[in-house]
Amino acid sequence: MLSRSSLSRNAPRALSAGRRAMASAANPTFQYDVSEAAGVKVANREVNGATGTLALVAKAGSRYQPFPGFSDALEKFAFKSTLKRSALRITREVELLGGEISATHSRENVVLRAKFLANDLPYFTELLAEAASQTKFSDHELNEVVATLLKYQQQAVYSSPETVALDAAHGVAFHRGLGAPITPSQTTPYEKYLSGDALAQFAQDAYAKSNVALVSTGPNSSEVSKWVGQFFKDLPAGSSSSQYKVQPSQASKYFGGEQRIPSKNGNAVVIAFPGSSAFGTAGYKAEASVLAALLGGESSIKWTPGFSLLSKATQGFSFLNVSTKNHAYSDAGLFTVTLSGAADQVGAASKNVVDALKKAAAGEVASEDIKKAAALAKFRALESVQTLETGLEATGSGLVHGSKAYQIGEIAQALENVSEEQVKEVAKSFLSGKASLVSVGDIHQLPYAEDLGLSA
Amino acid sequence: MSAPSVANYIVKRPWLKRWMTPIANWYTDAAGYRRLGLKFDDLIPEESETVQQAIKRLPPKEAYDRVFRIRRAFQCSISHTLLPANEQIKPSEDVEYLSPIIREIEKEAKERDDLDNLVVRK
Repeated sequence: MLSRSSLSRNAPRALSAGRRAMASAANPTFQYDVSEAAGVKVANREVNGATGTLALVAKAGSRYQPFPGFSDALEKFAFKSTLKRSALRITREVELLGGEISATHSRENVVLRAKFLANDLPYFTELLAEAASQTKFSDHELNEVVATLLKYQQQAVYSSPETVALDAAHGVAFHRGLGAPITPSQTTPYEKYLSGDALAQFAQDAYAKSNVALVSTGPNSSEVSKWVGQFFKDLPAGSSSSQYKVQPSQASKYFGGEQRIPSKNGNAVVIAFPGSSAFGTAGYKAEASVLAALLGGESSIKWTPGFSLLSKATQGFSFLNVSTKNHAYSDAGLFTVTLSGAADQVGAASKNVVDALKKAAAGEVASEDIKKAAALAKFRALESVQTLETGLEATGSGLVHGSKAYQIGEIAQALENVSEEQVKEVAKSFLSGKASLVSVGDIHQLPYAEDLGLSA
Repeated sequence: MSAPSVANYIVKRPWLKRWMTPIANWYTDAAGYRRLGLKFDDLIPEESETVQQAIKRLPPKEAYDRVFRIRRAFQCSISHTLLPANEQIKPSEDVEYLSPIIREIEKEAKERDDLDNLVVRK
């Protein structure tokens, strides 16, 4: 047991240690070194430890796919049979080396990820290069493995009303491009577009040298450029003229509107506004992420609703989840408030959401709360960059979309400079502009935009 | 489950191959399946998981043609007739379409078996 006196003796020391860490926010170990090897952009971060990670970020997410389902299929085809070895052999080899490989895709990127013991860096670099440039895309693998996985993915995605609502909100807000569903719904006729050949042509372009970036962290990240230079030589140069190539990115335009989707799986309402794009792009507005933290809805501390406006406004509802998020993309963003739970409570609480937003726009928020929100927004932004799962993609995405890699110090600075006035302005602009409203579930009870006093 | 054969033994020895080819051609023709409009790969017994899998992997057109040939041959057999000469399968058409897929599946199965019985020495 710790005695009281030892605790109190250590407390000031712990505090001062914390200060020191805060002061060195621009710690050089969190900065990525960006270089180029064999025509591929590489971002390195030297981190001491026994393991390393390597991620290949390709600009081929659902926004850039030529036909529905292509990004999903490309993701599911990662680490399948290549010209050199079978999918089974890849799996068994990775098992023997004790690594972890995975693939995911978002609206903008397809990400192939490998985590491994630091000594195995060359093996996994070669594996990523092989998966990107030499996958066979055989028809039987598509029919026997990939198509089945895709069906399960659809079931998983479309059984959650929140995801359906978020996806529909993107569709209503951006129509094509960013609005394309991240996974095609079960009723989408996507099968007729998918074939091994079509995917192979898509992959040629998706994994072209100019379209990918490699992000690595680990103890020997200085060696990464060397191995990348060796193994990624054979990556296709890209730009085939087929109809299956990666679609050129058109500037996203915000439309807004309303959509109601009946569903038996639960109830969700998403209220969305044009938000801030990713850090380092022209449309970046730090105040949007501060407002997201201010509206909030989910407490970051246990057993208390927290300071956020929405968690206070919805305190009386016990079957309700509220969360606010700014989804940032390379040239646009979507600011969403998601409510889910019992239909009557979702309906009633969505009115409270609009009221809270009006309060923020009128400036009836304590400056104390805005300070707390700015601190939380800063924490979230920095944490998401530091956490491997999100940080790797964010960094790679920055590189392939032509802006810079995430740099922690600058984000912190931008968030610190947000003033109360700016937060008020952004809330005002949300209320005066066109909103996007999506209701999923028991639409008999869920509100229309008109009822909430929003123009959609 | 490709058919057992001594073909490899013969093909490796050019003199033997030269000697055997005319006999083989005569024998295959005399077997008569081409006159019923079948290809050799249609005769592979399909009551095994490997061949079933291979049939599933056929491209749609090949799979359709295979069923067509088998049904046509069945009709010929029932009515005790042969196809007219122009509809019979020519030696040039009698090519492997299923065996390569079967060999691939067998290779996959063997690889899985080998990997399952792998011994790691460090």
